[in-house]
Amino acid sequence: MKSILFRSATILHPQSEYNGKKADVLIKNGIITEISGTINAADEDLVLIDAEGKYLSPGFFDLNANFGEPGFETREDLISGVAAAAAGGYTGVAVQPSTYPPVHSKSEVSYIVNRTKDSLVKVLPVGCISKNREGIDLAELYDMRLAGAVAFSDGTKPVTDSGLMSRALLYARGFDGLIFSYPEDKSIAGAGKMNEGQVSTYLGMKGIPSLAEEVHISRDLYLAEYNESPIHFSTISAAGSVSLIREAKKKGLKVTCDVAAHHLVLTEEKLEDFDSNYKVKPPLRTRADQEALIAGLRDGTIDAIVSQHTPHEIEFKEVEFEIASFGIIGLQTVLPLAIAAGLSAEEIVEKLAIRPRNILNLPVPAFEEGEPADFVLFDTEQEWVFSPDNNRSKASNSPFMGAVLKGKVLITGNNNQLFNNI
Amino acid sequence: MADNNQILGTRHLLGIKDLNEKDIQLIFETADTFKDVLNRPIKKVPSLRDVTIANVFFENSTRTRLSFELAQKRLSADTINFAASSSSVSKGETLIDTVNNILAMKVDMVVMRHPYPGAGIFLSKKVNAQIVNAGDGAHEHPTQALLDAFSIRERYGDVAGKKVAIVGDILHSRVALSNILCLQKLGAEVMVCGPTTLIPKYIKTLNVKVEYDLMKALQWCDVANMLRIQLERQDIRYFPSLREYSMLYGLNKEILNSLDKEITIMHPGPINRGVEITSDVADSKQSIILDQVENGVAIRMAVLYLLAGQR
Repeated sequence: MKSILFRSATILHPQSEYNGKKADVLIKNGIITEISGTINAADEDLVLIDAEGKYLSPGFFDLNANFGEPGFETREDLISGVAAAAAGGYTGVAVQPSTYPPVHSKSEVSYIVNRTKDSLVKVLPVGCISKNREGIDLAELYDMRLAGAVAFSDGTKPVTDSGLMSRALLYARGFDGLIFSYPEDKSIAGAGKMNEGQVSTYLGMKGIPSLAEEVHISRDLYLAEYNESPIHFSTISAAGSVSLIREAKKKGLKVTCDVAAHHLVLTEEKLEDFDSNYKVKPPLRTRADQEALIAGLRDGTIDAIVSQHTPHEIEFKEVEFEIASFGIIGLQTVLPLAIAAGLSAEEIVEKLAIRPRNILNLPVPAFEEGEPADFVLFDTEQEWVFSPDNNRSKASNSPFMGAVLKGKVLITGNNNQLFNNI
Repeated sequence: MADNNQILGTRHLLGIKDLNEKDIQLIFETADTFKDVLNRPIKKVPSLRDVTIANVFFENSTRTRLSFELAQKRLSADTINFAASSSSVSKGETLIDTVNNILAMKVDMVVMRHPYPGAGIFLSKKVNAQIVNAGDGAHEHPTQALLDAFSIRERYGDVAGKKVAIVGDILHSRVALSNILCLQKLGAEVMVCGPTTLIPKYIKTLNVKVEYDLMKALQWCDVANMLRIQLERQDIRYFPSLREYSMLYGLNKEILNSLDKEITIMHPGPINRGVEITSDVADSKQSIILDQVENGVAIRMAVLYLLAGQR
């Protein structure tokens, strides 16, 4: 990697003395060699980046992405997933275990870690809670943890068995493992394909009530409290869930949660034309839910924003709404969606770069001389069009394909590699 | 072939949502003419000669398909029928491929019934043919709603101001949703009545009254549309037994006679005699169930004729 000099970048890093201030940053061979008010560029072989008005922060970290490898490489593989993540400003991604075979033992964890160890984006597997992702018996959590699993989840298969969830929370606590709960009470959600509400009534569709999420969160909060375990809730979508978690945090429970970026900007009305690119799970809900989620981010109830990147082949999306697969790709659109939701650059760094790493007890890349350069340079004003030309995912199931988006990732750097989008 | 007043505001008939009041009145006036035709000794007109229509049914249907087919034959259209179970289709050929294969044989219009809501809307965006929705899941069944409203108009002269109670399984019913939308566009008041578990929680957002007591619903209404209980559409049990449903929501002669007015009884068929209504109610002079069936052919002729005029 060539040496880079960022000229006059606005540094966003809570632990840096330059936080919120403009500075020049010199990076050589993937190492931050100098940060100061002004750096005299003597080196001729230097790429000079005018970063006036742009933000330089630690690279973003995603707590929830699905890369299809192993098993579903036609959707996405680790290479294309990493490419999409880098283009979205990410230098770290925790990948869901929804693969085939599922990531439920050391082998799958090691496979993913080894396949990506030299990549720009650090890929950290989330292991299954249960063997075969079946929700019956515990998988070998500790062994997976030793191999590099950063947390445990059954992906978008909620753990319906309360006893299993209780044991998972208790067992993982023994070695500081963290359980991700995907909250959906299946017996209430039933065969629903969208939010239960005004729009589902108008469309004659069975709905998934917010209740399905809230009941599950209530249960898991009880289980976490009883077992004195930390718990993290993935992709909450309902106002009631925000309230439950806010109260639990007040009580002192070790609870964290995240929200998918699309839930901050989209609501159920988008489904009126039966467009399967809006079919996601949890479903798009109401404006009141959307507002509660943004308020939850602001007051710290919601810790992180995730992409919930879920690639699908076109054959699984260009079908009748009822049988279309849930999920959209998201890694490249999280930044503009967070901006559209009204978050400031500081809040974005908090929710995309700092808190996700805190949740997993991972160090936040330091902005100090001599430290490896793990960073993203982004602009909150610049507009761009998300198109097949710049989409780096193998899949294209995004409702934002073709849309003009405000907020652009300019450069992502990590592991002595660069993604340059200037 | 027609002036602007004779043209529907839509190229497809995917739902009542596509129609405004003027469109509905145009369909009714056209159906009036066709109903006269149907009562002549020679019931056939050449209006749709050289128009080929495929009836594509991914869900069982007897009467709707017969009614459409008869309407097409009376209009001299060429018709072909395609029936497939939705399960075999969802595992194999896609809906788009199935319909494009049929269209490749030079078909002009597709009448489709499908178990999934929005299937017709989806198809209309993906293939090059006019689509008539003959029922899509629990979403819409526009021709049923049109023939129901047409039958009320025939009985009372006008739909505006009438009070219509729709009784039964509202949650799984495309007939209910299309009826609500159609009757409201024509100025009627609509109430839904049924077991609490079969009334969608947010039904009031459609501006309907909700009543769980059959007696009160009947006392309120001019017309009671008794929906068929469709156990096949329920993935889980929403009430304990047909017997108990019938105890709460079954309409019998005794109840009907206890009312201080004579209401009109409708049913989209096929009737589960003894469940939604007893035989003596179904066969009473207050019932217009067979008129609905007759009007169904005239309404479908009108819809096909008007849509064909827009090709």
